This record gives sequence, structure tokens and C-alpha cells, in this order.
Amino acid sequence: MGAEQLKGLLGAAVMALGLAASPLSADDWAGSGDDWGGDWEDESESRFPFRVGGFIEAAGGMHLYDNKAVDDRIGKNYNLGETRLRLDIDGDWQALGYSLKVDGVADGVDEELRAELREALVSFELGDRTDVRAGRQVLTWGTGDLLFINDLFPKDWQSFLIGRDEDYLKGPSDALRITRYGDEVTLDLVWTPVFNRDNYPDGDRLSYWGQTGGNEFGLTAEPISDNAREPGSFPGDGEVALRLATRQSGVEYALYGYRGFWPQPNDARKTLAGGKLEHPVLHVYGASLRRGMGPGLFNAEVGYYDSRDYDNAGFNAALTPNSEVRILMGYDWELVTNLNVGVQYYLEWTLDHDELEKAFQDMGMKEMAGEEYRQLLTTRLTYTQMRGDLMWSLFAFVSPSDDDFYLRPSVRYRVSDELTVSAGGNLFGGKEDYSFFGQFEKDSNVYLRARYRF
Amino acid sequence: MNLLKITSGLVGGFALLMSGSLVLAAPPVSEIIERANQASYYAGRDGRSEARMRIEDNRGRTQTRQFSVLRKNVEGSDEQKYLVVFSRPSEFRGTVFLVHKNPAADDDRWLYLPDLDLVRRIAPGDKRTSFVGAHIFYEDISGRNLNEDRHELLEETDQHYVLKSTPKAPGSVEFASFQTWIDKETFLPVRIEYTNAVGEVYRIMENANIEVVDGYPTPMMMRVQDLQSGGNTVVQFRGVSYDLGIPDAVFTERSLRNPPAEWLDRR
Repeated sequence: MGAEQLKGLLGAAVMALGLAASPLSADDWAGSGDDWGGDWEDESESRFPFRVGGFIEAAGGMHLYDNKAVDDRIGKNYNLGETRLRLDIDGDWQALGYSLKVDGVADGVDEELRAELREALVSFELGDRTDVRAGRQVLTWGTGDLLFINDLFPKDWQSFLIGRDEDYLKGPSDALRITRYGDEVTLDLVWTPVFNRDNYPDGDRLSYWGQTGGNEFGLTAEPISDNAREPGSFPGDGEVALRLATRQSGVEYALYGYRGFWPQPNDARKTLAGGKLEHPVLHVYGASLRRGMGPGLFNAEVGYYDSRDYDNAGFNAALTPNSEVRILMGYDWELVTNLNVGVQYYLEWTLDHDELEKAFQDMGMKEMAGEEYRQLLTTRLTYTQMRGDLMWSLFAFVSPSDDDFYLRPSVRYRVSDELTVSAGGNLFGGKEDYSFFGQFEKDSNVYLRARYRF
Repeated sequence: MNLLKITSGLVGGFALLMSGSLVLAAPPVSEIIERANQASYYAGRDGRSEARMRIEDNRGRTQTRQFSVLRKNVEGSDEQKYLVVFSRPSEFRGTVFLVHKNPAADDDRWLYLPDLDLVRRIAPGDKRTSFVGAHIFYEDISGRNLNEDRHELLEETDQHYVLKSTPKAPGSVEFASFQTWIDKETFLPVRIEYTNAVGEVYRIMENANIEVVDGYPTPMMMRVQDLQSGGNTVVQFRGVSYDLGIPDAVFTERSLRNPPAEWLDRR
């Protein structure tokens, strides 16, 4: 140690002399560190035993078209108008980590003040190889970009479609996550004691294609959730999601399993007798891979949606969801410097489509059966300027089978470390009013957001 | 092992003392660049440091980044593993960057976004673009493959080897050539000037405040000036240490979600 120190001092002294004599390095910039001397962020210097951060964000948006259905329901021609205060608190207490993320929202659309608890979790290690997170948390896995096959954690489609930050597409789960890191294989097990549904378009901000009264169909803003029953009993109505992941010679492989419910209420059998929509039982088995290929990354994912409550008797074939096979493939690369391109192909293959079609035909609505193979192409173009401070982005969903599209142009400017301003749109269109994206044509909107971080 | 280090240190120290007065024949260019590469990017078997960057644009507006870096060399190869954990600004807090560097092919890179609990794999892309908004390129920190350029010794001064490097594939990079001043004692590049097609120097990278840490000369300051845009980025390092015995398991997906405080915390 003594020798080390001596040598260090000696070396430093020699070098200091050498450097002082060098016209190349004796520039005074290297001394400028003193200007920001105390500026290192040190955990230990914090006034609290935990860290506090967050942001305040103002967001506003407007419809591009008259949307009579939503106007009639909420009396507004915009679906985003809010100020959001986010507080992030995290810290450690002995071997326990904790994190709390809460949003206070002053919402001009709902005309209310509300608190949204986005995260409230404790985390700890179990032995050398196992991490546990318990509580409210945002969970994500799978390889798709804004397309999800094996990720059945709750999505907030409403936030996504009206122009909130893309992070809000992922809703929180109240869950227990256990991750075991083996030598070769990582195992994730997520148990959600009581089912968490998606926040789907529900008429209060977005209209959709549905029953407008009696047996008429059209654009409507009727609340679906009021007329739906969610699985809510403990522990029978829980969800379990599993992932096994490994990486072999640069290729990432994963297997997935899910036991729970369809995230949106699509069992309409009881509605004929005046009952409610239900979330039928769903099991999903899937796999994915991701690897470098040529100048970019290739990913592929597949899932078998085993719709356990599917009932092929008569009209029920149209009133309960069929089983499906879902496949996606994607490629992501930098086309030219600072321009990134991602393309994806996605396929939803409805099994027993003949039964579905026949049931709809018997109901006199053959076209509502949709295509047996629903196909979707997506592209994500991202162009950055000013070292990333200015980012242009266009995400496009186009479905050749449904003849519809959804475009998400946006631009984001990072004014400073604190202030970011974003603008963009959600533009929908399609040949038919009842197709997946076509039904939201009248919901097309543009938005503006400013976020100040602290 | 320790004895070896001390011996080599003493020999090095001796060489440092002597080199001021002795005029030695310059080693071959390939040896100079190899030693400079080792000194810049491969010091020790592993290492940690904390860094903060001040990014200043042409109008004097500044941004800050702060992060901790763990690095480990893969024994018997020029591959390396990096883990970069951001603490500032708040937008990047908890963001973790994992790199498995492979000079012979593309690096494998992953980014962890804490707000989504998402591990995103990053497409290889151009290495000569901004690293987290700084004027520093990804390649400046991870090292440029020596085989991508032709190197020649332009000049040998009392203190420096001055090298000129010309890309073998000129279309692949924004520079026409770069000139490196390599300190003869430490073999650290202290200045690199990048020249464009019309012969103008448009970008300068400098290393300064070199201290010997655990026996390894280490620049504690670094600066990149972008003469075209008028901006610059200054990086300051602290809490540097080497040969800690960081296990391989630190450079895996687990560290993205659960950064290893044991190795990140300053000792």
C-alpha cells in the first residue's frame, strides 16, 4: 500500500510537471470544474432520508372533427385539458427499497381533481438470485413496439389515444413480481390477486362503434364500463403471468404464459337478456426472440390466445371471443445517421372464423364478423436533431385487411433539463365506421404538452 | 499479482522519470496506438467511476448529466462490459445503460426505462452520434476500433507522439482524418483534432487533469468542442478506482432493474 501511494504521488507529480509544461493541456478549461464545485448530486446530501422528484405538466388537446356522440355526452369539443403534478418518492430502509409515484390531476374534461396512484411498491432481494417487487407497479414485457401479444398487463388506451405521454399507455397493476436470475434462464412470475382491466375507450373522451340503442349500431359514447362486470373476487379472479427468458449467442429467447381474463369486456351473451358484458377467461401461451441482424435488430413474437369461454352454440359464436393466434415480426435500424426506422408486421388469426361469420350472418350483420386474418403494418420513424434535444417522430398503423389507419405524428423539444414541450396528433381513418381504427375517425385529435421536471 | 503490479508500476515510474531526459526511438505506430487504446479504455481488469457532464450550446445554455460507470474487461479478448447508471437530470434518473462491447462486431446495448419497467434493446446505429445529448459521441467513450483507420506517425515531440489517422472507409464517418497527441509517458491521448473534407479542424477532444489512480494514469477531465455548432461538453470524473473484482453477474439484465449498489457506491 505504501509503495502504491508513493508511486501514485510520484507519478502524479511527474505528470503534473509534464502537463504544466505542455502547451496543449494547460488550457484553463480543466480548472473550470470549480465553477460547479458543489454541484454533484449526492444521495447523502439530501435533506430527507428519501429522494423526491417529479414534474408538473400542462396538457391540452382538441378534436379535429365534430364528434356529436362525445359532445352530447360531455358537452366539450376537446378530450384533453389537464394539469398534472407528479411526485416521485423513493428510498431504502435497511434491505427494503420503496417507491411511490402519485399524480394529482386537475382535469378540465372530467371537471374534477383526482389523485392517481401510479406506483406504490416495496422491493427486496430473496437470497442471492431473487428480486421481489410487491405493490402497485407498471409491468412490461414482450418484443413489440406498441403492439402487445404476451404482455397482458393493463393498458390505458384512453390516455394513449387522447395524447397523454406514451408512458401512460401502460397502466399500473396491483401485483407481486418475483424474478429469479439463474445462470442461464431468468424466470419472472407475476401474480395479480384481483384482475386489472384495460382502460379502454369508454365514451367519456372517445366515441366508438357499438350499440346505439335497441338493435341499431353506430358511433356511440355510451359508457361500456357501466354495463360491464369485472372479475373482482379474491383469489379466484386473479391473474398469473410467467416468463422464462434466456440469451444464447446474442439471441434473446423468451417463453410466456398467462392465465386470466380478456382485458376488455367482450363476452356479450348476457346482454341479450339485459345483463352485463363480461371479461371471459383467457389463457395465453407464447414465445419471442430478438437478435441483431444486419444493420439492425430483428424481433418475432407469437401467442396462442386460448379463449376458454368461447361458445359456438348459435348466436353465442358471435357473442363470445374466439381463440386466436397472434404473430408479429419487426425490424429496427438506423437508416441514416439520426434517422431510426422500425417496421412491424402483425397478424391476428381468428380461429373458428366460419362459426363466427355464420352467427353474424344469422343476425343479419355478416360484415361485422371481420376478417379471419387481420393484418397490420406499422412503421416508426424517429429523427433527432440538436443532439437529441429536438425529436420528430411518426408512428403509423396501417391495416390492409381492415382498410384503416392510425397515425401518431409528434415533435418534442427539450428546452432544458427541466422543460420539455411536445406537440402531436392522433389521426384515425378507415373505409368502414366499424373497423378497429376506423371507428375512432371522429376522435382524431391534436395536442400540446409542456412538462417541467424537478 | 500485487507484486507484479507494483513492479510494473515501479518500472513505469522509472520510465516516467527517465523519459524527460532520454531520447528514445519511437516505437512502431501500431504499438503506440495499441498502448494508447489500452491506456484509454482498458486500464485495470475492471473499474468504476462517477462522471458528470456539462453540455453547453452555442448560446451558453447548459445541461447536466450525472452517472456512475462500471466497466469490466473480458479476459483474453478486447471485449468489455459497461454498466452506466444515471442519476441526473431527473428525466434520466434510474435509466440504466448496459453495453457488451465487441470491437469485432456490433456492440450489444440495452437501455432500461424505469417509468415503463422496460428493457429496450438498442439497434446498433451510428456510433458517431451524441451520447445522451452531449457533444461526446458514443464512440468517444467506448473506443473506436483501431482497424477502421490507417495510422501514421506525423511527429515526435518531447512529450507527444503525434499521429494522423485516416479512415479506411471515408464514407462511414464525418471526419476526413484526425490527429492525436499521445502523451509519451502515460500513452493517454491528450488531444484529438478532427478535420473535415476541406481541411478544417471542426472538433477537438481533450483529456486533462491526469491522476494516477490505483497505478493507472487516469484523466479526471475531458472536453469535446464542436467548433461547427459552437458548443462544448466538459466531463469531470471522480471516485475512480480499478481492479475491484467486479463479478460478471453485475453486467446482466438484473442490474438494469436493480442496479448493484454494492459496486456503484463510492468506497
